[in-house]
Amino acid sequence: MTEDVRYARFMERIERGEKIEATDWMPDEYRHLLIKLIHMHAVSEIMGAYPEKEWVPKAPTLRRKLAIMAKVQDEMGHGQLLLRVAEDLAAPLGKTREDLVEDVYKSRVKFHNVFHMEAKTWADAGVIGWLVDGAAIINQAALLETSYAPYARVLKRICAEESFHMQHGENIILALAMGTEEQKQMLQDALNYWWESLLFFFGPKEVTPAAERMLHYRIRTKTNEELRQKFLDKYVPRIWSIGLTIPDPHLRYDEEKKEWVYTEPDWEKFGRIVRYNEGPKSKERMELRRTAHEGQRWVREAMIRSRMATAAV
Amino acid sequence: MEEKQTEYSIFEVFIQRTQAEHHVHVGSLVAPSPDVAIQTARENFLRREKAVNIWVVPRDQITATPYEPDFFTREMDRKYREVAGYTENGRLWRMFKEKAITLEEIVAYVEGRKARERKKQA
Ligand SMILES: [Fe+2]
Ligand SMILES: [Fe+2]
Repeated sequence: MTEDVRYARFMERIERGEKIEATDWMPDEYRHLLIKLIHMHAVSEIMGAYPEKEWVPKAPTLRRKLAIMAKVQDEMGHGQLLLRVAEDLAAPLGKTREDLVEDVYKSRVKFHNVFHMEAKTWADAGVIGWLVDGAAIINQAALLETSYAPYARVLKRICAEESFHMQHGENIILALAMGTEEQKQMLQDALNYWWESLLFFFGPKEVTPAAERMLHYRIRTKTNEELRQKFLDKYVPRIWSIGLTIPDPHLRYDEEKKEWVYTEPDWEKFGRIVRYNEGPKSKERMELRRTAHEGQRWVREAMIRSRMATAAV
Repeated sequence: MEEKQTEYSIFEVFIQRTQAEHHVHVGSLVAPSPDVAIQTARENFLRREKAVNIWVVPRDQITATPYEPDFFTREMDRKYREVAGYTENGRLWRMFKEKAITLEEIVAYVEGRKARERKKQA
């Protein structure tokens, strides 16, 4: 079979809505797009646990401490599941788990802008749980329909756990929204700090060439802007209902166009944060990741040596 | 002296029903080789049902837990880890004149379907 025929057959499968497995033939471009997307997703789950883990020792009650710890464990677990999917895709290129993890602190893979930001107060931790997870859930829900089967299966499990994250985040926010004036102010400050990052999270408004290719292969089926609009649909009324002010004087729903009008985030600023790891917490968290990974290398090696010693007996 | 193997090996069988699901263990069989195990698995487990993939794994390649409750006991109430631990959200949202939403509703909304349709499909 020539390459052209193979490609045409592959595209027919995609267009019929069939799912692709790791062992199927796939165009290099498809493989590379998937690796880029899933690697970034995996790494973002892991780096996403950092801002919240910072609140484990400082959570206000024991129950809150246990709950946020449970959530941090989930996010690390999501990272592990996704890295497995990325590894199978990257294996033919000679890349292993070690490489994919090292890429984080060697700045060879990006992670979501929101996880470069600082969680100064408990309200920040709450807003991450409610709105950052909320935005991530919208993204992941849209990916359930992806053409790559191993990714779809893992996402199904991730989404099931995200439904706890959703309730958990809401519960923190609702408690603060019913609290003292000081707590309400803390919540408002947190929303002010995160709002722009949340809009940026969904990515550029225009469909970039890479995004266009992902739509072509049905790796994604929705554009950034469609997802941002869905996020605004679901969350803006709730944010308003608990008495918060969204820090955007131009935010409104255009009844005629049936869409939200909003002030665009500073694309340039957040773009730099993601590309060059220039966020307030980027360097510190990457350094922590490096210490964790390299500091424990001897343990991984010792475990492999002991396994080989037993196998040899 | 080399011992002749006279017994077939035991294989555990895992079946994937659709590509949206993981492989699920359905039982085991004996076979002289992995190829024959696959054929036998299809005959034993898929005479009526549909599937998209089969795995056969030599039983001695599986490492399992013992059936000891200790390994699985939860040392304390773990409601904080579950959706069910947050039922008060519904009541709290009503105080703010909003209603609670679930992840299923979000997924259905993103996929452009109504929540009930999705359940029917699943
Ligand atoms: Fe997650
Ligand atoms: Fe999450």
